[in-house]
Amino acid sequence: MRLYWLGVLLCWAVLGCAFAGGIDELAAARAQPAAKRIVALSWEAAENLLELGITPLAVADADDYRRWVAQPLLPAGALSAGSRLEPNLELLASLKPDLILSSPVLGALRPRLQAIAPVLTIDAFRQDEDHAQAAEAIFLQLGRVLGRQPQADTRLHQLAQGFAQLRQQLQAHGARRLPRVQVIRFANASSVYVYGSNAMPVLALRRLGLNTTGTPAASVWGISQQRVVDLAAWRDEVVLYQQPFAEAGRLFVSPLWQGMPFVRQQRLAAVAPAWSYGGVGSLYYLAQRMTAALLQLPLLADKPVAANRTSRRSST
Amino acid sequence: MEHVIAKPGQGAGAHAHLRWMLPALCLLAGLHLWLNGGMPPAGPWWQQQDIASLQFYYASLPRMVMALLAGAALGLSGSVLQQLSGNRLVSPMTLGISSGAWLGVVLAAVVLPDNPSLSSGWPALLGAMLALGLVLLLAGPRGLNGLPLVLAGMAVNLLLGGMATMLVLLHDQYASNLFVWGAGDLAQIDWQWAQWLWPRLLPAALLFWLAPRPLAMLSLGVAAARGRGLALGTILLLLLAALWLSAATVTAVGLIGFIGLLAPNLAQLLGARRPLAQLACSALLGAVCLLGSDCLALAIGHWAGSSLPSGAVTALLGGPLLLWLVRRSMNAAQHTAMLQIPGSQRQWRKRNYPLLLGALLGLGWLSIALAPGPDGWQWGWPDALLWSLRWPRSLVALSAGAGLALAGVLLQRLLRNPLASPDLLGLSAGSTLCMLLVAGWLGRPLQQDATMLALLGALLVLAGLLWLGRRHQYAPGMMALSGIALAAMLDAMLQTVLAKGTPDGLAVLAWLSGSSYRVTPAQAVWLSLTVLLLALAAQACQRVLTLLSLGDGLAQGRGLHLSAARLLLLLLVALLTAAVTSVLGPVAFLGLLAPHIASMLGARRAANQLVVAALLGAGLLLLADWLGRVVIYPRQLPLGMLASVLCGCYFMLLLGWQGVRRGGGQ
Repeated sequence: MRLYWLGVLLCWAVLGCAFAGGIDELAAARAQPAAKRIVALSWEAAENLLELGITPLAVADADDYRRWVAQPLLPAGALSAGSRLEPNLELLASLKPDLILSSPVLGALRPRLQAIAPVLTIDAFRQDEDHAQAAEAIFLQLGRVLGRQPQADTRLHQLAQGFAQLRQQLQAHGARRLPRVQVIRFANASSVYVYGSNAMPVLALRRLGLNTTGTPAASVWGISQQRVVDLAAWRDEVVLYQQPFAEAGRLFVSPLWQGMPFVRQQRLAAVAPAWSYGGVGSLYYLAQRMTAALLQLPLLADKPVAANRTSRRSST
Repeated sequence: MEHVIAKPGQGAGAHAHLRWMLPALCLLAGLHLWLNGGMPPAGPWWQQQDIASLQFYYASLPRMVMALLAGAALGLSGSVLQQLSGNRLVSPMTLGISSGAWLGVVLAAVVLPDNPSLSSGWPALLGAMLALGLVLLLAGPRGLNGLPLVLAGMAVNLLLGGMATMLVLLHDQYASNLFVWGAGDLAQIDWQWAQWLWPRLLPAALLFWLAPRPLAMLSLGVAAARGRGLALGTILLLLLAALWLSAATVTAVGLIGFIGLLAPNLAQLLGARRPLAQLACSALLGAVCLLGSDCLALAIGHWAGSSLPSGAVTALLGGPLLLWLVRRSMNAAQHTAMLQIPGSQRQWRKRNYPLLLGALLGLGWLSIALAPGPDGWQWGWPDALLWSLRWPRSLVALSAGAGLALAGVLLQRLLRNPLASPDLLGLSAGSTLCMLLVAGWLGRPLQQDATMLALLGALLVLAGLLWLGRRHQYAPGMMALSGIALAAMLDAMLQTVLAKGTPDGLAVLAWLSGSSYRVTPAQAVWLSLTVLLLALAAQACQRVLTLLSLGDGLAQGRGLHLSAARLLLLLLVALLTAAVTSVLGPVAFLGLLAPHIASMLGARRAANQLVVAALLGAGLLLLADWLGRVVIYPRQLPLGMLASVLCGCYFMLLLGWQGVRRGGGQ
C-alpha cells in the first residue's frame, strides 16, 4: 500500500518536471503582436523588453531593478508592480495591461494573472541547459511574439560584435597564456559562492574564449557555497570576484588570504557590479566588466609571466 | 561547597560523566582539526609560510577554538536560564536574544550597505542588548525568575523577529548575504573573532562562582528562596550574565540556538542534579555538542563539495539526541513540572461578546472596502475583479486566525504549558520541509503543489509524534520536547537552503512568513469549512479540557480516559494546524498569544477561552492582512509577519499594563 502511494507521488513529480524551459509556445501564440501595455514580473523579462526597445508599463521591484540591474536603463515612467515574489494583483487589475511577462516562480499564480491579461512565462534558469543559449532563444522568441523580430536580430548582432571586440582585446593582451578562470561572489569574510558551469558569469567567460574547465558542476541557480579556506586548492587559476564586497577590508589583509596562491601570484581581480541572473544583455555587460577586470591583471601585460615575476623580485 | 541539598550519591553520577566527557572532547578536537584540513606541519609555526600551515593556524585552529568557546557559553547560558525560570523549554533563543541580534544585523545591512558592519559585531550585540533590555523592562524586577520573564522573552522574540523578517523581505538584495550568518557559521579566516569573543565570556567565571547557591535555593521554590533571603539583585545579575554570554556568542558565530536548549537537558538527563554540576556539565556538553556537530558539518561539506552551515547541523544532530534521551529517561515527575497559565483579576462578561463581534464585523467591512489604488485611496464596494481578489484573502485570514487560536488554547491546556503553540509540535516545520525537499530534489519552483505537500508534511510529523508519544501515553512534557526537537531538526534544513544564497531562499522565506497572497477562492472556502467543523469539535471537548487542566489524578478520578483524551485533542490540534499551514504557511505566534490574551481579558473557563481566543485570532489576522495590503502599497507584507508584530506589541502592552497595576510582578 505504501509503495503504491510512493509510486503515485513519483509519477506526479515526473509529470510536473516534463514541462521544458523557454517560453510557453501555446501562450505565445495567443499574445497579440501589437501589445503596448506590457507588465514585466521578473527582472530578466524587464531587461529583455528594454533591449527590444519596449518600455514596460510596470516592473516588479522597479526601484531595486534600477539599483541592482541598472543596465539597460529603466525609464522613470515605469511603475513598480509590487515584489517579484508577490506582484500586486489589485494594481495589475486596475492597470489593465495587454500582456503580462511572468516567471516560473509565479507558476501557481498563472490562472489569476490570466484573468487580468494574457500571460507569457519566461523560464530561463534550469540545471540541465545552457543559460546563454536559452537566453538568446528567449530573446528571439520574445521579439517574434511582440512583432519586433528585426530589432531582436539587430541587437543580437550588435552583442555578437561586442563579444568579438572583447575577445580581441583579451587576446591582444595575452589571454592565450591565461590558465583557467574561476568567478566567485563573497557572502562574508569566511564564506563564498562559486559560480558553476551553467552560471551566467561562467558562460560569459566561455563566450570570451577563456578556459573555464574545472568550475563546479551545474545547479539550478548556478552557484555553490564554499568556505574561503577551500579556495587554497586553486593552484594556478585566475580568480575574479564580483563587487560589491563589504568585508574586503577585513579579508584581504588577513595572512590566510595573503597566502592564497592566486593572491601571491597576482591572479585576482575585482569585477564591477553586474546582474548575473539576466538575459542576453546582462551576459554582455558581465563579459564587459570581466574583461575590464582581466585586463588589469599583470599576467595579461605584454611581458611573459615568468619575466614579470622575476623583475618584481629583483626590485625588492 | 554546599552539600545541604544533594544526597551523598547524587553528585557522583555527574562526576563520572565528567570523567568521560573530557577525553571525548579531546578526541573530537583532534577529529575536528583533521577534518578541517589536516594536522600542523612540522617545525615552529612562525617559520611556516606555505598555504597548508596558514590554513591550519588561521582557519582550522580558530574554528576549533570558536566551536569550544561558543558551545560552552551557550550550554552554560542555557543551564542558568533553565534553572532560573524552572522551565526546561527556555533557552537563549526563546528569550529573544537571537532575534534581537538578527534584527540588528539586518538593520545595519540595510541602512549602511557598504559598511563592513557584520565583521565589527556591534550591530548584532546592540540588537541583542536591545532585546535583553526590553525583556527585563517587561518582566519587571519581581518577575525575573518565573513566568513573566519567559512571557516577556516570547513577546520580544516575536516582535523583533517579525521586524527583522520584514526588513529582509523588503530589502532582499542587501540581506541575502546575511543568511550564512543566520544559519550559524563557524568558519574562520583569522583569530579576530576568537580574540573578540573570549574576553566577553569572562562573566562565565562569575556564574560558576556566584550562581550555585541562589540556584539551589530557587530549586526549592520561589517563596522558600525569598524566605531564606535570596536577593533580587542576585537573580538580576545572574540573568544578565547568562544572557550576555549568549548575546556575545550569537554575535560571533551567528544563530546557533539549539545548543542552549539541548545541553542543559542532556546534563540533567545524564544525572547532574546539583546546580554547580548542572552548570559545569552543561558547559562541557555544549562544547562537545557544538564541536561534534561541526565535525559532521565539515565531513558532509567534504562529501557534498559544498560547505554546510554548522548551526543547521547542530540542530540536525541535537534533535534526535534530545528525542532519544527524552524517551529513555523521562519520568513521571518531569511530566508535571510545568507552568500555570497566567491569569488576571478581570472577569469575562457575556456582554463583551457583542462588542467583540461588532469589532470583527467592522474590520471585515474595512478590509473589503478600503484600499489604495494607482490613483490614490478608494473607499467603497469593489468591482467584480477586485472583489474576487479580496474576499478569499479576508476569509482565509478570518478562518486561519480562529483555527490557530483554537489550536493554541487546546494545546496549552493539554500540555499545561503556556509556551505551547501549534508550531511547537513541529507541524508547520514539517509542512515547510516537505515542500523544500520536493523543490530541492526535483528542481521545481517552490510554490507549485504547496497545499498538498504542506498537508502531507504536517501529517507525517503528526504520525511521527504519535508514534513517539505512544509509550508515554502522550504525556505533556514528552510531547512538547519531542515537538521542539522535531521542529529544530526541520528548521535546520530550512536554514541550509537559505544559506545556499540562491533566489529560492527568498521564496522559502516568503512562504515562511505566512502569506495569504496565493490563496484561491476554493482554498478559502475549504479552509473556512474545515475550521468551522473543527471548532465545533473543540467546543464539544470543553469538559475534557476542564478536567485535564485540573491535573491527571483528578481527571482520572472523574472517569476520564487520559491517553484517549490526549490523543483526541492532539489530533484536533494537528488537523487545525495542518489545514491552516497548508493554505497560509506557518503563522507562528498567533496560536501562542491568542489564548494568553483571551485569558488576560478574563476568559479563563475552557468554553469562554475557546470562543474569545478564536474571535481575537480571527480579528488579528484580518487586521494584519489588511495592513499588509495597504501599508507599503504597491508592495505587500505577509500577514503572518504583521500578525507577529501586532501580537508582540499588544502582548507587550498587556504585560506592561499588568505589571504597572500590580506593582510589577506575579
